Amino acid sequence: MKSRRIPVPRFAVIVVVALVFAFFSLGVQQFQNFLTLGAVFALIALGYTMVYGIIELINFAHGDVFMVGAFASMWLLTGPLGLPDKPIDDPIRLTGVLVVVMFVTMVFMGMVGVIIERFAYRPLRHAPRLAPLITAIGVSFILQNVIQALFSSSPYATPQIFPKFKLELLGGSIGALNLFMVAIAVGLMLALALFVGRTRLGRAMRSTAMDREAAELMGVDINQTIAITFFIAAALAGAAGVIQGLYFGSIQYNLGFNAGLFAFTAAVLGGIGNTTGAAVGGFAIAYIEVSAAQLGYSRWSEVAVFSVLVLVLVFRPSGLFGQALGERA
Amino acid sequence: MKLAKIGALAATAVLVIAGCSNTPAGSGGASGATGGKTIKIGTEFPMSGAETANGEPSANGVKLAIKQANAKNAVAGYTIDINVQDDAVNGVHNPQQGATNLHTLVADTAVVGVVGPFNSSVAQAEIPIGNAAGLLQCSPANTNTGLTYPPDSAQYRPTNPDKINYIRLAAPDSIQGPAGADYTYNDLKATTVYILDDTETFGVGVGNSFSDQFKKDGGTVTKRDSAPKTTTDYTPLFTAAAAAKPAAVYLAGTTPTGMGLALKQGRTVPGFETIPFMGPDGVADLGPGGTTGATITVAGSAAHDVSGTVAGIHDLPSGSTFVADYTAAYGKAPGAYSAASYACAQVIIAGMAKAVAAGTTDLAAIREAVRAGSTVAGNTFDTVVGPVGFDKNGDITTPYMSFYKTDLTAAGGKGDWVYVKQQAFTDPNK
Repeated sequence: MKSRRIPVPRFAVIVVVALVFAFFSLGVQQFQNFLTLGAVFALIALGYTMVYGIIELINFAHGDVFMVGAFASMWLLTGPLGLPDKPIDDPIRLTGVLVVVMFVTMVFMGMVGVIIERFAYRPLRHAPRLAPLITAIGVSFILQNVIQALFSSSPYATPQIFPKFKLELLGGSIGALNLFMVAIAVGLMLALALFVGRTRLGRAMRSTAMDREAAELMGVDINQTIAITFFIAAALAGAAGVIQGLYFGSIQYNLGFNAGLFAFTAAVLGGIGNTTGAAVGGFAIAYIEVSAAQLGYSRWSEVAVFSVLVLVLVFRPSGLFGQALGERA
Repeated sequence: MKLAKIGALAATAVLVIAGCSNTPAGSGGASGATGGKTIKIGTEFPMSGAETANGEPSANGVKLAIKQANAKNAVAGYTIDINVQDDAVNGVHNPQQGATNLHTLVADTAVVGVVGPFNSSVAQAEIPIGNAAGLLQCSPANTNTGLTYPPDSAQYRPTNPDKINYIRLAAPDSIQGPAGADYTYNDLKATTVYILDDTETFGVGVGNSFSDQFKKDGGTVTKRDSAPKTTTDYTPLFTAAAAAKPAAVYLAGTTPTGMGLALKQGRTVPGFETIPFMGPDGVADLGPGGTTGATITVAGSAAHDVSGTVAGIHDLPSGSTFVADYTAAYGKAPGAYSAASYACAQVIIAGMAKAVAAGTTDLAAIREAVRAGSTVAGNTFDTVVGPVGFDKNGDITTPYMSFYKTDLTAAGGKGDWVYVKQQAFTDPNK
């Protein structure tokens, strides 16, 4: 959990320069698409990186946790809330629905994450590293098949409750939903940075990541800390799932596989274990995707994304943000 | 001791249950009045998940044909039965599964002809297997041109290059793509178009032939994109395409491989909110809103102003009771290829009847007679879609194309496809 390692002013300058570059190379309309897609990738990548940071597990089930989150929010919207597939124009009611759906989905997915950790990963904490990796793949299949059994293998249309309200800005039209998504994602990322950097539990997480035995000797409850990490990681994936349904409009049981691979690449790109890096990596991957579409090379976009994965692993295994290997988190 | 007893009891129970379930399973769903020996028609469609809207109505067409043929004792001394296979894996058609299914059908010696598959990519995997075994396949829906038209078609018959084992009732993409292009240019009055394909055999093929004809008509293709079915975000593609201000969009592909989602997301991009979208039969699945996996279900309110081609006839010959019979049997209207599937089954049944009438009793010999008889020059079969014949490549000699358009107020507000017109074509491969 290395959220405060990069000096803040320098980092801010890099981010601003990158955003300005993205804005001018893509244009307003594509810049909006890039930010929205980046927000989803970043939220998922954060979970990957947090889990890796604390127990060095590449949680291959994480993409599927995101998918379950998307289904949970869809069920919530259509089932208990009984909302039809049309925009809610009353802003107060819309806010209420969004808060309820976001909150319930995040808490529910957080608990799913904790359960997965408790039963699939904790018993294997001291096993050879391959064992939990294989369990993670098993959990991934379990989640996919549970969703297939509860719903079906068909794609599901999610209710489009967000008004199709657009702002005419800088010569483009910016969707209110896009603004909302980016705001939610950035807000959650800031909250996470504050939590990890400033709170007692955050300090426990960082110390556990750095040296588990030493942290335990200093009185940190390791099991609790790891459980909290999984809770947060899965809750963020749940938030990404809600956004996925609201924005992309269609979800399917195998949604998590590709999203997971993309987010994993984002996490590696940023330096796996590094939360800031994961967020930046998410936006970088989105940039590749969107500019491939812009340039007419969309069928090459996955080639480009996964080439980045290979190149980073070969030439800069610690990621763009200089993850020191000896000090993994 | 106790445990052992319980174990023995359980084992007995399992055996009893297994024994019971064996008894009624033999005759299958389409039993008729005729006694005697059993002869089968296989069906090979994607039957589950997002593909339910494609496969199920087609298989039902075959079941109805068999039921009615048995009632009329169409093949003297035989009861016709069905062997149903599903090539959908995780809800999407899968060529490998199709190949496995065809091996299963070949191994069932009572199967003398197969109706299917639904998708061209699946046909590519299956035709060589049927060719080696000499088993006839009749597809109601495959439209990829190369499946029948030489020189491409030769590669699918490696074992017996001279034996045609694959015929189809659907008009090939060399008709469907151009027909869509003409419709877009002349009927929808669009002179510029953006084409998006799904990178699959069918999508790329129909996209290319659409593009060629549209240019020939005098139109301009402003941009051509390809996006695989794993794409979750089509908005950047549409945003990039919006710059050239196309007057229409052609979705070259199928809804299960992403075209439904592309329609839904494309509509949100400025410049695409109201313009017409056009698609081949993979988009015009004729499923009303609410049908699992259907275009109107997936795209919801974005499915307005969508037109599509179906590679078959719409108006059945006058006096046909097919629609009424189908609706009575299955409680819903036929799918886009139900009638063609019924007709495929009729072609196979006619072949069986002829072979049996000629005194053939060996199942393998009947299978060969059904195959060889289907493409004999000048041969016509009386079917539910009218008299049909097949040329030396296995293509229908009188191809038809039907045009449909979405109407979101139809089907009680759930939205449905409404028929616009149909048009006869001459064989484009000549």
